[in-house]
Amino acid sequence: MIAFDIVLAVGIVFCAVCALTRRDRMASIAAFIVLGLLVALSWIRLAAPDVALAEAAIGAGLTGALLLRAAQRLGPLRPEAGGRLAVSTAIVAAGLGCGLAWVFAVAPAPVVYAPLVTERLEMSGVTNPVTAVLLNFRAWDTLLEIAVLVAALLLVSLLGGRRIVPAHLGELTLPFARIVTPVAILIAGHLLWQGSSAPGGAFQAGAVLAGAMIGLVLAGHAHTGAAVVRSALILGLSGLAVFVLAALGSEVLTGHFLGYPVGAEKIWIIGIEAALTLSIAATLCLLFTGLGQRKVR
Amino acid sequence: MSAFFSILGIGLIATGVGFLALAALGLWRLPDLLSRLHVLTKADTAGLSLIALGAACLTGTRAEILPLMLCVLLIAISGATVGQLIARSVTPRGGRS
Amino acid sequence: MTPDLVYHVTGAGLIGVALWRLSTCRDMLRRIMALNVLAVGIAMLLLATGHDAVAAITDPVPQAFVLTGIVVLVAVTAALLALAEQLEDKADE
Repeated sequence: MIAFDIVLAVGIVFCAVCALTRRDRMASIAAFIVLGLLVALSWIRLAAPDVALAEAAIGAGLTGALLLRAAQRLGPLRPEAGGRLAVSTAIVAAGLGCGLAWVFAVAPAPVVYAPLVTERLEMSGVTNPVTAVLLNFRAWDTLLEIAVLVAALLLVSLLGGRRIVPAHLGELTLPFARIVTPVAILIAGHLLWQGSSAPGGAFQAGAVLAGAMIGLVLAGHAHTGAAVVRSALILGLSGLAVFVLAALGSEVLTGHFLGYPVGAEKIWIIGIEAALTLSIAATLCLLFTGLGQRKVR
Repeated sequence: MSAFFSILGIGLIATGVGFLALAALGLWRLPDLLSRLHVLTKADTAGLSLIALGAACLTGTRAEILPLMLCVLLIAISGATVGQLIARSVTPRGGRS
Repeated sequence: MTPDLVYHVTGAGLIGVALWRLSTCRDMLRRIMALNVLAVGIAMLLLATGHDAVAAITDPVPQAFVLTGIVVLVAVTAALLALAEQLEDKADE
């Protein structure tokens, strides 16, 4: 399998170089999306299926869509700084990269946390160690992460940029939406539920839902009036509210911030994750479609 | 019976990989967007579906076959729709000419 | 030579390429893409460090960090792109 790893690694670096050096905007974004998918594959090889799911859905899919939208609005590439500066920074960056590779290859890196997590996994209420870390042992980090999402959403809404206006995309999008939307909702629910025992969870499920929502908006099959946008904004903000309320409730019930009552951990985790899934889906969809009033393609 | 299924699975996967290689060759060698799409939509869908069917033959449990069939469904639908959308974007008058 | 070593070198390579482009590009979209590639490189170093191919142990804590990082990164990317579009609008007027 080492040959597969090496081919994959060469492909990843090649795609990264293509994505960051090609003059054609479309070609570089296409290379970026392929990079995301190859990286997801490499994370399967590093035994991180949860991260691979998130990378494929968010890192390749949603970021790719965001970049394509921005590329259309920003216009063609500007001329770049060349000459001596480019060469000297290339040398510095190459030196830094080689140094990092050398340090990580040489320095001993014992796997510290795995035994600790395995030891306490029964106390967390779930059997997937990544979900246990995200929603129980380090739930505080996840709470702050949702706060970052909310901050980004508020920034985008304050900027009041342009909003996506759907184009007429032909007859085939309606049957496509009719089949794919229910399947996407089904997959999101499945990912959310199985996140407690197998790869999956709120972020992956939210990304799948957001993808379905963006597809509906782009094809013009969803209402995009001001009332819908406002309710989506409230839904996006509700995830943080539920999480904070859960944190305060657990403080009252058990005396520990985000320390869930013993025996009911799984219900708490699934409940928080369900709220987060809807909120992440609404947030990601709004970050893509924009909330502004000006309607420009 | 299981030997039959594993041989069938490997055969299907090999055929699927062949289809994907053909699609890649077409993408590389063909001159313009429409003929590339022509190769890509068909060979891609066929290749991935065959690989999923082969994997289903190899695993054999119902819990694993169901997601694979869902994959085939999604690939078939999205391949056809996206191909049509890309072709629409390059043909004049929204593909109605 | 283990798979982990391959991914250590790849992650370092991605970081090098991303830093080089981040410092030489004037185009905003390209810089945002370089930032994304930089994050992927760092995530790859983290995950490869938390993975022991010989003993077949995987550390869930770096995985949770990277998962958090992916979601934060997409939010940051969306915010930066909105700012870049705003700058472009101002330049057009």
